[in-house]
Amino acid sequence: MATTFKNLIPNKDIAVTRTLLNEAIPITGSIVSGTYDDENVKNYAHGMFQSVYDYPYLSSSANHIFDLTVGYSSNSALADAASVQNAKKINIYNQMAQVLVGYDENGNIREFDRDGSFSSADDKMKECVFVNFARLLGKDEIKKQSFTIQFATGGTPAAPDFGNLKTISDYNAQTDYRTNSPVGDYGFLYTSSVDITTSSAVGLLYYQAGIAVLTASVFDGEFGAPAATYDTASIDAVLTGSEISSSCDGIRNRWFDNDFNNTTELNSSIYFCRASTSEFNYSANPTYLSESQIRVKQLSSDSPSAYITTVGLYSADNELLAVAKLSEPLKKDPTNELTLRVRLDY
Amino acid sequence: MAFLDNSGDIILDAVLTDAGRQRLAKGDGSFKIVKFALGDDEINYELYDKNDARGSAFYDLEILQSPVFEAFTNNTATMKSKLVTIARNDILYMPVLLLNSDASTGALGISTTSPVTGTIPLAADSTTAKDLPLAEFYDASTATGEAVVIDQGLNTDSIGPSNTIAADLFEDSYSIQLDNRLLSLTDGDGNNVDISFIDDDNIALYNVSNPSSMIAPIKAGTTSPIAGPRGSRLKMGFRSSTDVLTSTYLFTRLGGEVTITDPYYYIDTNVRITGLTTGYRIDLPLRILRKQ
Repeated sequence: MATTFKNLIPNKDIAVTRTLLNEAIPITGSIVSGTYDDENVKNYAHGMFQSVYDYPYLSSSANHIFDLTVGYSSNSALADAASVQNAKKINIYNQMAQVLVGYDENGNIREFDRDGSFSSADDKMKECVFVNFARLLGKDEIKKQSFTIQFATGGTPAAPDFGNLKTISDYNAQTDYRTNSPVGDYGFLYTSSVDITTSSAVGLLYYQAGIAVLTASVFDGEFGAPAATYDTASIDAVLTGSEISSSCDGIRNRWFDNDFNNTTELNSSIYFCRASTSEFNYSANPTYLSESQIRVKQLSSDSPSAYITTVGLYSADNELLAVAKLSEPLKKDPTNELTLRVRLDY
Repeated sequence: MAFLDNSGDIILDAVLTDAGRQRLAKGDGSFKIVKFALGDDEINYELYDKNDARGSAFYDLEILQSPVFEAFTNNTATMKSKLVTIARNDILYMPVLLLNSDASTGALGISTTSPVTGTIPLAADSTTAKDLPLAEFYDASTATGEAVVIDQGLNTDSIGPSNTIAADLFEDSYSIQLDNRLLSLTDGDGNNVDISFIDDDNIALYNVSNPSSMIAPIKAGTTSPIAGPRGSRLKMGFRSSTDVLTSTYLFTRLGGEVTITDPYYYIDTNVRITGLTTGYRIDLPLRILRKQ
């Protein structure tokens, strides 16, 4: 009996694999502030956060790369009704905390903790900077122990000292991370790979959520945008005396570089399409025949042959569900047998 | 020491067709790959030169140099010709499908009458069937009788028609594809045929297998365009869809206007018939006419 289809045997011809794909993501300070004169930075009327793009955001070529915002706990010394956008800063902190840290046994929102342990009341980060990376960059998760961010320390808002950098990284994160967050794994951000102690972390990095949380105290000295008209004596002064967007401008002004690897989880089905020696040696191509005679044969004793260019994957009711192409025609005749591994990624 | 030939194991990246994506989106379990086929759409076997004086290595050189397209994601635009598995290697002749337009079968042929030349004319509704000034057309409003008869067999003068076609080359199952917006399939006796599925492009696929009133061996002594040993005969009719029967919307959108004494709307479409056993495929042009 002639046939054009061959059934795939589930446990023999179909395999399922999982591959982790990593990409290196560099976010240089010149993109974050400078190159585009902040035309790639979008502020909103609600003033809750600032969005940063890789190109002026009015262009259709622009890609959203991350959001910046700041907030403090209602228990922070900075929380004061007189502070600018006081309620919004507390709301931002609480929103981030309830999603990233969760609630205690009484349903109260927990605060960010430097060592990830909720058994101690100290080590809380009550004034925080939040960097929410877009899914475009973070993909399924940030790869552990690949994250580094550098800020200028010293200098003035008009002239940050980029010769004097503070490097913050998730050192040792491949072997030392926590899982007691509602949004998956998180690691600790340190300013140095040495002298790591329980409470020496300056931030937390939520790998699957793609959010870096830094304590505001990493920014020492004068702080603010280059042409700031507000009090730039310190980040605390900006947090209390200016809007959220002013703090975001100050962070971008100090931003020197950020690098990390993202991870995409690729699930694939591999179909082993096996054409044995006696299979697929003829063709139903209209040009295969001349007055019903096979063109590639002169005598019936000649070997038949056909040329493969395409593999089609079908449902039981013969609907073509997926298709794979070869780069060049592949000869099939009774002297050879082929296994075409067709990979379908999800 | 030379390298091993690793050409026997090739990794290819597949893309989902639009129909595959649609089934995946349904989430009802209908996306399940259970079989494969190999295609050779880009290959022109006329390039096979068995008289090349340089030797047999050069016979298929031009075929092997054929460029190959990237994958089409339209499920109906790719895998148009498939490779066929036949256990024997000694086959020199393979069967084809041909339109039988002999009047004795009751079916139509490709018209040579202007302005429906090169198509099989169908009347969309009873008014058109009553008034259409053509000697031969099919009344798709009633769908009685055969519109198309397809004969299968070895179309060669080298082997006489009295010879029997080999059992493994006898076609006993066909798939028929029709634009479901325009027509549905009948068995040639006016009875509707069940649809296997309708894809995302509104192409309905009908699978017909023996035993069926639509398929029968070609009887000895009957007239057939097949010159050599004969296989099976497939008959079918077409029924106008409700939209075609009751509205001119599709005619003005997909078709045009033509005058055959009176003005008529028309839509050109195709019916695609594929032998599921031997893979051979034939496309027939249909012209649906509706009186204005």
